[in-house]
Amino acid sequence: MELVSIITPAASDVTDVPSGNLTQAVPDTRTRVIGIIEIVLGLFIALVFGLGCGSAPKSTLSFDPVNLTGTIPWHLSPVTVPTALTNIILGAVVALVGVFILVKSPKRGVMVFFGFGAVLFFFAVLLWAARTPGPSYIGFLNLTAVLVGGASIAMVLIFGSLSGILCERSGVVNIAIEGQFIGGALLGAVIASVTGNFFYAAIGGIVLGGLLGLLLAFLALRYQSDQIIVGVVIVTMMSGLSSYLNLQVLSPYPQYNVGNQAPLVAIPGLAKIPILGPVFFNENAFFYVMILLVITVSVGLFRTRWGLRVRAVGEHPKAAEAVGISVVRTRYRNVVMGGAVAGLGGVAFISLHGQFQPGITSGYGYIALAAMIFGRWRPSGAVAASIIFGLSVYLANNLQTWNIPIGTEILQMFPYIITIAVVSGLIGRVRAPAADGIPYKRD
Amino acid sequence: MHLELRGVTKRFGSLVANRNINLNVEPGTIHCLLGENGAGKSTLMNVLFGLLHPDEGEILIDGKPVVINNSGEAVRMGIGMVHQHFMLVPVFTVAENVVLGFEPTRAGFLNHAEADASIRKASEQYGLAVDPHAVVEELSVGLQQRVEILKALNHNAELLILDEPTAVLTPQEIEGLFEIMRNLKAAGKSILFITHKLKEVKAVADMITVIRLGEVVGEATPDMTEQELASMMVGRDVNLTVTKAPKVPGEPMLSVRDLVVLDDRGLPVVNGVSLDVHAGEIVALAGVQGNGQTEFVEALTGLRPALRGTVTLNGHDITNHSPRQILNAGLGHVPEDRQADGLVLSMSVQDNLVLNTPRVAPFARRGTRNLKSVRANAEERVRDFDIRTTSVDAPTSSLSGGNQQKVIVARELSRPLSLLIAAQPTRGLDVGSIEYVHKRIVQERDENRAVLIVSSELDEVLALGDRVAVMFHGQITGIVDPSVGREIIGLLMTGSQISDDSTVTVPANATTTTSSENPSEDPS
Repeated sequence: MELVSIITPAASDVTDVPSGNLTQAVPDTRTRVIGIIEIVLGLFIALVFGLGCGSAPKSTLSFDPVNLTGTIPWHLSPVTVPTALTNIILGAVVALVGVFILVKSPKRGVMVFFGFGAVLFFFAVLLWAARTPGPSYIGFLNLTAVLVGGASIAMVLIFGSLSGILCERSGVVNIAIEGQFIGGALLGAVIASVTGNFFYAAIGGIVLGGLLGLLLAFLALRYQSDQIIVGVVIVTMMSGLSSYLNLQVLSPYPQYNVGNQAPLVAIPGLAKIPILGPVFFNENAFFYVMILLVITVSVGLFRTRWGLRVRAVGEHPKAAEAVGISVVRTRYRNVVMGGAVAGLGGVAFISLHGQFQPGITSGYGYIALAAMIFGRWRPSGAVAASIIFGLSVYLANNLQTWNIPIGTEILQMFPYIITIAVVSGLIGRVRAPAADGIPYKRD
Repeated sequence: MHLELRGVTKRFGSLVANRNINLNVEPGTIHCLLGENGAGKSTLMNVLFGLLHPDEGEILIDGKPVVINNSGEAVRMGIGMVHQHFMLVPVFTVAENVVLGFEPTRAGFLNHAEADASIRKASEQYGLAVDPHAVVEELSVGLQQRVEILKALNHNAELLILDEPTAVLTPQEIEGLFEIMRNLKAAGKSILFITHKLKEVKAVADMITVIRLGEVVGEATPDMTEQELASMMVGRDVNLTVTKAPKVPGEPMLSVRDLVVLDDRGLPVVNGVSLDVHAGEIVALAGVQGNGQTEFVEALTGLRPALRGTVTLNGHDITNHSPRQILNAGLGHVPEDRQADGLVLSMSVQDNLVLNTPRVAPFARRGTRNLKSVRANAEERVRDFDIRTTSVDAPTSSLSGGNQQKVIVARELSRPLSLLIAAQPTRGLDVGSIEYVHKRIVQERDENRAVLIVSSELDEVLALGDRVAVMFHGQITGIVDPSVGREIIGLLMTGSQISDDSTVTVPANATTTTSSENPSEDPS
């Protein structure tokens, strides 16, 4: 037999490129992109909202309570700051966070830094918008009001994103959240008008949302239809149906759409905490239900047998089936629950707005989905994302009425831009449940 | 547990997948179910595991007839299954995977402490060391398989079904698995071991049942020779060896230098590979699945961008060229997943035979297809390559796996080639087809073409390769003559880098001009 030659492989390659380093290469790039975005954002804040308004204007922040009845429980003196300097400082802070991310490239919490930057950005926009002398008629900015306004939008978004989490963690995409919102809002408005009681409205919304979830689940699980298409069909159907019913029923019979709002429930004592009180402890009942739901879903998904099984079904349905977990039943249950939560969210929405009008939910269902993705399919993350998105929606809605010369469409795009950036892996890395949206076939 | 099958028959329409199967697994034994791909082993397993229901016959556990309606029931009866494709949730921890479906709870919440304790106990008892808190997707395939076994044991399995468990393991890991199997046997568990690999059967089996075309053709004992077992399995005398005349390789046809390729997640899955394949030489790329071979081939064939490095084919730089340009440069490609990447299953045999040359005369002229010449071509190929099909118009989905592969081989070999790349060329084929494909590959080499074979079957690598390159974690850990034997190649497959005094070290270039003048001896 011939002499066997065994050679060592391209030795230089092996030593040049330690695989440990290279495996980190790509997450590093993502982190770097976030760092650069933060720096650009910081410079933008400093230049446009800071230097851009000259040295004369000042911004006044007030903290007076809103929505509290009776005597004003506190009074914090308004704070007046030079707009340019403050925004330059804010911009610098954001940019420094970006530099920190670039230099340290932290492994965790990058999304948190990003959210922090976004919140400071909104704050800078507010200061800039409220500057005097300036284009706006508002002379001061009530921070409490901004937070209360943002919180009420965030509440609706959280209902929606919890709905998305319930469905998608089990492997079914629920893009019909918007449709379930519309259904819940319409039915909620009617029931609240007739009974004058939002409890019954909530029941109605839960039932209707659950039925729409059942429809989605039926088509997706029984016939293995494309879940995205079924979802869009449900939204379109509900949107058309609500316009039709509005025209045929609500307009001629305004007594079915009187526009009550749900009463605020102040938590004794806590509601009087400055700033935080009105935001967290003087909301309507839906807000508190939402908080309970967040805790329930969070604990349920990650601490209980039910949650483990749901996640297994969403990640690897065959593995779940192999240990005797019924994939189809789990999915049915979760999609119906998710629909019910979204339906309740629709009622929560109308409990703030009162009167139903076609198109009133204006895409909140999709923003909620975006919040779910940005929050990485976790209730806690979805809450954080909903707060950021809620603020951006609030600003977009209000800057216009404040007569600010800024394209509010840009702010309205914000949640979607973030979502595209997140989904494309530009910032952070999100991973959907592996079987999300894939019809399950037993073989 | 004592398991007995009596006269089990399972039909799919007119096809009988299992006919009158009798099987008797004694407690505390390793019982081998030996059969070729497509012999009906998987169907039988699915019947046992409650995923399919037998049309006739009965299943007896410890002498009592049982009906198994679903896999949950099978598990409760003490049947545990280690699937060929692991049934593990990649993002879960080991503990979460093991307890799934049978979770210990305390006051309604998952009881992690109890789960960990039971895993540690089973780990120690059977020598299945694995960290309960590790996330499964970060474990090696061998460890994942342990998790699968632990999962079955945690569900109190008394009978373990192992479905082709060695397909994804290195030779060393296979030894480890056998050790675990012997431990389990000693603890009184029964094991039903499904395989088509004769060596493994001989290594661990106590009893062997051979099935062919859905029927039990006989019982065998591990002291029978491989040749005898193979004949039983295939139904005729088979030639287990590949005849290959010695041949001096010519000029390098394919030269890969320092290639870096990223996987779908953006991680470098091919990490600085350099390799030469010469005319008239078969280089076999060995390695456990998932060490970058797939992506390496995709980069060579233009299906995946190369981040760094160069690929030269016959003197032309083809790095990051389009697949069409690369095919035109003289590359033939038999892809790994023939049904997904090699064929359009719903299209006819004749159309699949011109899939890589649809725009070329005589099959098309001025943008219009010439159906007559397509058909003539197809009829010729079907004859030459012995493709068994009802007609050239039949969809390729109606062909057996072996004949589907022949369609691809016929298509790829019908053009003047400089290089043939065949990835897992015989995966899932029956012995007859394997013989045929091997013969064609050797014939290509003898006609002075460069051939690169990618295979995770060590037997195939040793039988075909004039040189064997071993890939591990995206790098070539060694290029050796096949006669070094399976132990050394096995070591290379686990990432060991071997050098000894007889080594010719070629710096900065992982290739050698070693040519084997001696016909490769069959490893068996």
